[in-house]
Amino acid sequence: MKRSLLLLVLLAASQGALAQTTPSAENGRTVFAKWCTPCHGADIVTGELWGRAPAPGTAALQLKYRGELPAVLEERTDLTGEFIETVVRGGLFGMPITRKTEISDSELEDIIAYLTKGDAG
Amino acid sequence: MALPPGLTESRFSEALEQFASAVGSDWVFSSDEDVALYRDSYSVYWGEEEERVASAAVAPANVEQVQQVVRIANRYGIPLYPISTGRNLTYGGSAPTLSGSVVVDLKRMNRILKVDDERNFALVEPGVSYYDLYNYIRDNDLRVMLDVPDPGWGSPIGNSLDHGCGYTLSPFRDHFGSHCGMEVVTPEGDVVRTGAGAVPGSDAWQDFHYGAGPTINGLFAQSNFGIVTKMGFWLMPLPEAFLIGTVTVPRYRDFAALIREASYLEDLYLIGMPWYTSPASGGAFIGTPPELAALMQDGWPSTGQLEEFVRAKGVPAWSLDLRFYGPEETVRANWAAARRRLAAAIPDAAFEDHDLVELPIPRDEETSFSHKPEVGIPALDAFMLVARNPGTTDDPPDGHADFFAMLPRTADAVHSAARVFAETYAEVGFPPLHHPFSIPVSYYSRCFIMGTVVPTWRDAERNARSRTLYERLVARCGENGWGCYRTAPAFQDLVVSQYSFNDNALLKFQEKLKDGIDPNGIISPGRYGIWPASMRNNRA
Ligand SMILES: Cc1cc2nc3c(=O)[nH]c(=O)nc-3n(C[C@H](O)[C@H](O)[C@H](O)COP(=O)(O)OP(=O)(O)OC[C@H]3O[C@@H](n4cnc5c(N)ncnc54)[C@H](O)[C@@H]3O)c2cc1C
Ligand code: HEC
Repeated sequence: MKRSLLLLVLLAASQGALAQTTPSAENGRTVFAKWCTPCHGADIVTGELWGRAPAPGTAALQLKYRGELPAVLEERTDLTGEFIETVVRGGLFGMPITRKTEISDSELEDIIAYLTKGDAG
Repeated sequence: MALPPGLTESRFSEALEQFASAVGSDWVFSSDEDVALYRDSYSVYWGEEEERVASAAVAPANVEQVQQVVRIANRYGIPLYPISTGRNLTYGGSAPTLSGSVVVDLKRMNRILKVDDERNFALVEPGVSYYDLYNYIRDNDLRVMLDVPDPGWGSPIGNSLDHGCGYTLSPFRDHFGSHCGMEVVTPEGDVVRTGAGAVPGSDAWQDFHYGAGPTINGLFAQSNFGIVTKMGFWLMPLPEAFLIGTVTVPRYRDFAALIREASYLEDLYLIGMPWYTSPASGGAFIGTPPELAALMQDGWPSTGQLEEFVRAKGVPAWSLDLRFYGPEETVRANWAAARRRLAAAIPDAAFEDHDLVELPIPRDEETSFSHKPEVGIPALDAFMLVARNPGTTDDPPDGHADFFAMLPRTADAVHSAARVFAETYAEVGFPPLHHPFSIPVSYYSRCFIMGTVVPTWRDAERNARSRTLYERLVARCGENGWGCYRTAPAFQDLVVSQYSFNDNALLKFQEKLKDGIDPNGIISPGRYGIWPASMRNNRA
């Protein structure tokens, strides 16, 4: 299980006692819905105003991978915790940095548990 | 690790300990990794020495903690930089104006103190986002509508304090203009309430905005005279219906009459934000299609050439969406009156009806509704502009810096500004985005904006080119008498320097206030060109 190794690394890196609890994919889904879905959802979100298109993150990933990987993050099976953390804390192109007062380290671990579904690490 | 200017590492560590005893050690961020989260993702100086970076961040939970933080900062001479939700992307993000400042991150102060749907106001703390407030209103079935900017994760307080704007009726689109009552922690740590809130026991804080004597509220926006800890906002009562009516006009020269009529309707408060487009140029907000670029090859086209261009294309020159809010009977009647006036004023004007939308939008239809901000639904759809999109598939930018020039509300001004923008792009060697059919944006109802988005990069060389373009645009617009409404810290001294009437009398006045109100120069030094006396040589 590569994933449990990664978790150990993440736990070691994060501060505070909070991080000692096991990440919750269920809570990850909730945090993802609040902070990520507006850009990474599957629905068509814009109509006449900006052209008919899915959410900006989904639209960008469609162009980036040209169908080789799912454009919707939640359908991906190749995401690693380290990659997700790097992107959320460092930003990537139009996607900006997220601070810890917005998404705490333990909430980020929950998102990672949700997105990696235990099948990648 | 960046340090506050003039502080030794040991003095700074001491101060950090004091901050920790004020707000709790979990809420002082000082490791390199944590402080990096306060970088501006869209910085025009990313990775360069001039990038504005914090030395630490503290996140107080209440007003008393904010006061303690301010007092500690005064003792140690540490510049503070307050942010509310810190999502000021394209205008500096959550990074300070002066490197080495300690960011005061107010995201944890996120209480919705009151929403009243009979007196139609909200009173909130700085960390309350538009999403939070919207959900609260919907969850409690309150009959008010928000006016939101494109990104829903910002906050009424942060957005309005940077003079942000939205998309509904004019009194609400101007977010600072629609506030009523503030609570502010002053640079010396006192707590001030403005308007009726200064009367002990008043229940009219969000009803009466003036109080008695001069209002000081304007001092706290785009500036550095205090840390705002509460703010009230007047809200629109939830209209029963929303209706869009489209008018198109065939000729290039019809634009002046179209603007005149839209201004009449808007200044009578009959319509919301007028939304101009030009079918002749393909309808995009910015961008020059090849056939227009070809027409511009030999200089700015004449009116005759432009009329011929539209005729040959067989599409209307201009289009305008009128947006009506209210009961079904009145929105339909207002649209009928608008049609009658426009038809009389502009020969061959054509009209298109759209379906009436009943409000509020059912919650399961919000996501796919394509006019979200126009009916107060927060979203992040507009990041489409920045994210990898069909125009930037293989080389997306890392962000952008918006430049909005403020013009008088006339067709002549719009056309002149489009020309200045196009010529400036050409001078700097960028492909033109502006052209004779460039359209204005009317966030602020009494003036027009000619705008552009300049790409920013995590690449010094490309950023340098973008800065050259941005700075040239500011200067050229200034020469034409057009100021800019808002900008990132990197350009604030330059933008403010355009407002130089009578030997910079305005800035000198602001500096006198700064010296009196913030003698130690603690709050956001340099924000919008206002430097404390000890740092006036910092000016770019
Ligand atoms: C794609 C895109 C579209 C955008 N569209 C719009 C739009 O339609 N309308 C619009 O207005 N903006 C728009 N923006 C710009 C920006 O993202 C928003 O204005 C956003 O709301 C600002 O961030 P915020 O609300 O988190 O404010 P913050 O970042 O919290 O605050 C902004 C600044 O105000 C000052 N400040 C904040 N809080 C306090 C306080 N409590 N006391 C004292 N000073 C304080 C600080 O100097 C701070 O840097 C857009 C940006 C992007 C990327
Ligand atoms: C403001 C819009 C926005 C938000 C909010 C957002 N993202 Fe993104 N995200 C993007 C964009 C745009 C990209 C594509 C970047 C590119 O073009 O390479 C992206 C890419 C990513 C990637 C990289 C995928 C890949 O294979 O390249 C990950 C992982 C990711 N986002 C995770 C998240 C998570 C987790 C959240 C919530 C905490 C989130 N994002 C919130 C816009 C957003």
